[in-house]
Amino acid sequence: MKVHSCIHPLPSTPSTGILVSAGPAEAKLAANTRKLYSLTLNSSNYVPFPYKDQKFSRSSSTDFSRTAIGSNVSEDTDDMFDDLLRTHGKVVYKRNDQKPASEEIDDDAESLSFAMAVAKVASDVKAGDIKVLFVKPLVYWTRFFIIATAFSRPQIDAIGTRVRDMAEEQYGRVASGDSKPNSWTLLDFGDVVVHLFLPPQREYYNLEEFYGNAASIELPFENQQQLRGPTGY
Amino acid sequence: MIQPQTHLNVADNSGARELMCIRIIGASNRRYAHIGDVIVAVIKEAVPNMPLERSEVVRAVIVRTCKELKRDNGMIIRYDDNAAVVIDQEGNPKGTRIFGAIARELRELNFTKIVSLAPEVL
Repeated sequence: MKVHSCIHPLPSTPSTGILVSAGPAEAKLAANTRKLYSLTLNSSNYVPFPYKDQKFSRSSSTDFSRTAIGSNVSEDTDDMFDDLLRTHGKVVYKRNDQKPASEEIDDDAESLSFAMAVAKVASDVKAGDIKVLFVKPLVYWTRFFIIATAFSRPQIDAIGTRVRDMAEEQYGRVASGDSKPNSWTLLDFGDVVVHLFLPPQREYYNLEEFYGNAASIELPFENQQQLRGPTGY
Repeated sequence: MIQPQTHLNVADNSGARELMCIRIIGASNRRYAHIGDVIVAVIKEAVPNMPLERSEVVRAVIVRTCKELKRDNGMIIRYDDNAAVVIDQEGNPKGTRIFGAIARELRELNFTKIVSLAPEVL
């Protein structure tokens, strides 16, 4: 317990190397993070893996933690890290402040209802080929993509304005992204991102193909559109 | 730390291969540009038979820098190269795909289009 108290985890700089290197498989990036790794090691007051040591100190050896702080750092850091990796494994530890699974599902459901509402509004303003993609398993930074085609800039403006108004009135959300109508207009609501394309741009960027592995969500009003024909206008 | 005369790699499939920064957009006497800044650049090297050609002047967003990017939580990100993505006047990327990892700061700076075309966001 004494050792426990003398270890002060630095602000998360040391864990950066681990966190970043854990994700990407790219060799280039791995080399990059290794540099970063060695850089952080050279700083004299750096305690490696403080959160693991805290766990460790109670169960097995306090000596180990002392050597980690003291001489070993300057002598041979690589060996020490190899030992640490052997003992603990290359495991990314879960943070304690994460939400339970049920809450995640609730959040997903809320985002889904918002995404459906946006798609409905877009459909009301006669946007074509609306797709709602569940991209959460693919990218961490958002949950749903809505991709829609508009056939002119005034129409893009109309869809954008309506979606913004609806979001603010009913869900209290404000979009960042493009404020003017653009050939590719993007509205970013955080967990829902709306892409409005003109037909040539939609073909050019081909986002659906890029996110081909994402699950597409059925729209309740899609059948009515198909009755009118695939072009829709 | 990108300044005029800095050469940058191109991280998209627009057809340019290498850029040279000639101006930083922003304040009048800005010295350096960092990740998420828009620069004016000239194409020094281009892929043959593509719309962009050598010695064309374009706008680009910086997506990777050798200079470290510090986050508030203490995280530091440093890349091996300086790289930029060519954009047009409206802010749409000229290429259709982005290569390599990019930082999430770009999203906060309203370059979500670039983020949504990237294979990996740090």
